[in-house]
Amino acid sequence: MTRLFEHYDACTDRFFDEVIAKNGVPRQHYDKMMRRFAQLSVDDIHARRQLVNIFFRNQGITFTVYGVDEGIERIFPFDLIPRIIPAPEWECIERGLLQRITALNEFLSDIYHDQKILKDKIIPADLVLGSKHFCREFVGVRPPLGVYIHVTGSDLIRDADGRYMVLEDNLRTPSGVSYMLQNRQAMKRAFPVLFDRYKVRPVDSYPQQLLRTLQEISPTQKADPKVVVLTPGIYNSAYFEHSFLAQQMGVQLTEGRDLVVNNNKVYTRTTRGLQRVDVIYRRLDDDFLDPLVFRPDSKLGVAGLINAYRKGNVALANAIGTGVADDKVIYSFVPDIIRYYLGEDPILKNVETWLPSNPKHLKYILENLDKLVVKAANESGGYGMLVGPHATQEEREKFAEMIVANPRNYIAQPTISLSRHPSFIGDSEVAACHIDLRPYVLYGKSPSIVPGGLTRVALKKGSLVVNSSQGGGSKDTWVIDI
Amino acid sequence: MLSRVAESLFWMSRYFERAENTARFLDVNFNLMLDLNSITTVDHPNYWSPLIMVMSDPEDFRAHYSEYNAHNVTDYLVFNRQNSSSIISSIGMARENARSIIESISSEMWEQLNNLYHFLQSVTPQQVHNDPYSFYKEIKNASHLFQGITDNTFSRNEGWDFVQIGKYLERADNAARLIDVKYHMLMPKRGQNLDLVKNSVDIIQWMAVLKSCSALEAFRKVYLSKIDPDNILRFLILDRTFPRSITFSICAAQEALWRISGSSLHRYTNNVDRLIGKMDAELSYTTVDDIHLQGVHDFLEDIQKGVIKVGEQLHLLYFAYHTPKIEPIDVTEGLTFTGITGGRANWSQSQQQQQQQ
Repeated sequence: MTRLFEHYDACTDRFFDEVIAKNGVPRQHYDKMMRRFAQLSVDDIHARRQLVNIFFRNQGITFTVYGVDEGIERIFPFDLIPRIIPAPEWECIERGLLQRITALNEFLSDIYHDQKILKDKIIPADLVLGSKHFCREFVGVRPPLGVYIHVTGSDLIRDADGRYMVLEDNLRTPSGVSYMLQNRQAMKRAFPVLFDRYKVRPVDSYPQQLLRTLQEISPTQKADPKVVVLTPGIYNSAYFEHSFLAQQMGVQLTEGRDLVVNNNKVYTRTTRGLQRVDVIYRRLDDDFLDPLVFRPDSKLGVAGLINAYRKGNVALANAIGTGVADDKVIYSFVPDIIRYYLGEDPILKNVETWLPSNPKHLKYILENLDKLVVKAANESGGYGMLVGPHATQEEREKFAEMIVANPRNYIAQPTISLSRHPSFIGDSEVAACHIDLRPYVLYGKSPSIVPGGLTRVALKKGSLVVNSSQGGGSKDTWVIDI
Repeated sequence: MLSRVAESLFWMSRYFERAENTARFLDVNFNLMLDLNSITTVDHPNYWSPLIMVMSDPEDFRAHYSEYNAHNVTDYLVFNRQNSSSIISSIGMARENARSIIESISSEMWEQLNNLYHFLQSVTPQQVHNDPYSFYKEIKNASHLFQGITDNTFSRNEGWDFVQIGKYLERADNAARLIDVKYHMLMPKRGQNLDLVKNSVDIIQWMAVLKSCSALEAFRKVYLSKIDPDNILRFLILDRTFPRSITFSICAAQEALWRISGSSLHRYTNNVDRLIGKMDAELSYTTVDDIHLQGVHDFLEDIQKGVIKVGEQLHLLYFAYHTPKIEPIDVTEGLTFTGITGGRANWSQSQQQQQQQ
């Protein structure tokens, strides 16, 4: 064990540690990394951290925390110790995610057309049709290629036995992929020698693949369809990512006011007049897309966009109404969805989930609030959740009331002890911090995954919340060929 | 190019130029005070109030400070965030504009602008007070570096032209203001013999004006050491080769406008080109005697009005195409800068902050 790891406590009896196996020695694929870190002094680490911080700051890689007074931008905390996934393990994740995304796409296509799954009573119809994100307006509208979810970022975790499970599916506007790309750049700068010792699969082709996916769904038969990214604007927490992706793809980054709809066709406003748009990669919620159809007070959207979409004159990625499939209540049915459409057993497990709308489950939930995690069905970013074991009695009582008042809006899951990974707390101490993994799936003519993803880490000791808005950071994620 | 992107490029460039000019004025004033310390004190209001008249609004200054002195004027023009033309506000707005088009500029440009922004956040008024020379030099160099980076990393397309227009319109406007105020202070009084005006204090002051435009050496090459007001007017307003003169700036802005629209000499295709062509023609065929005939103040005021008109027409022609009416909203807490004059506004901030998955 090295000096940095002198006080490292893996607690392998209670947690799955990514680096240290049950017998107390590093797993084989982490061996080279551990030896490299053994050669580094605290000063070396400090120097590398400075290098990385300057890289991030100069690139403007920041995110915005809402509702905080002190300055609006922060550098996304980056942990210097990479997470390593050996190829065989990755291939299992890959197969599992492709299976899941294919099934979820079938599900969306079904509920927006024939609704067979509801007629066969696999899922209670009211749960689907009553979902906040079910868009009645889009029943019968077929998106190009029949694909709804062009970009997804499902969150994976590992339980105490190291099994990968899906914690949630993000099927609307998943973010974070720019950090995956930038973390890799930062890591190459800070640890060129270590990087060279592993055969790390590259992730750099993601922007090209994204562009190809977007061009594939163009409704017009042009050799070079015009793609734009639609952002809510510079005050959005993920604005950096929107501009980064636009820049990497070489397409225009637009705001709602840059677009105008004329005769059901979408155009950009330019210094030389109007120019036709074929595909919009929108990072805007459904609600804000078109003030004529959804929220009339939306200043971010484009009046007439939805009609242009329904007419098939423009493609949107992701399609409208995909949120119904990442509703946390529907999540609990995904294993059934996979079996129903594909006739296969799910490769990746779900986390056990109780639904308050089921009276038996409700009783269990209320009796075990101190052991459970309760989440609002349609929130994201770590907002609106209760971590039972870490909450006060008062907070639990408040949630109990909210659950009873609105059972459809909540789910409960056991508190999973997420796997842990050595991470820096300061420059001289390495501690075991909880992590998850968000790989990104692209789906145009067929689904594909870039080898890697964003590993998020809860840098507060003991914390289970990895969201950047709640004090989480991230790691570079290496898929390696052994 | 998206109208919004063109507009942000224009304002990014304009605000950066404004910050540089403010730094120049302040820098030269400090130097001037040191030259004159045998006859006046560093804090004499007569030497500090003109800066506020050039760069900002005296009424607004009065609302914040009781008197014109080195400390107050520096604080107002460098650090005051309520003053929308302070260096810190200008760089902040240049950066906000750049941030909204970060994918359209080169990453080197962004890094440089961002660096300067973070540098400004870290500087204290005390540091500037102790070593004004280094601080202003830092700002000027940062601006030069930014322009050099832009020249070397930014494609020569429409975007580049909008950057040039922003820079040169702002420079022409700032130069006109500076000469106006200094001339007002130093002009020959009625019945006074011109030779008498050329006492040493005035010469030092005029040299300061030249220095603030980095023009002293270039001026000497043309007029040797004959520092008299007419030569200085001739040089700073009418010289066609010096890059900070008004005529040069207007001419450079015109060339950029022509590249965008395809207009050429005597053949304008729109109102912006017509107005800037008119300014260029007037400057080209004007002598110092003509300027005196009209009155220096009037003449310089016309230049400033001309720049405003060109800006308005530019907005209508290239930026405002089909723009929906945007209602300004209250800026909520957490924002460092209030509103971006011309161009980007903080509208709909709360909606932009929707949750991301």
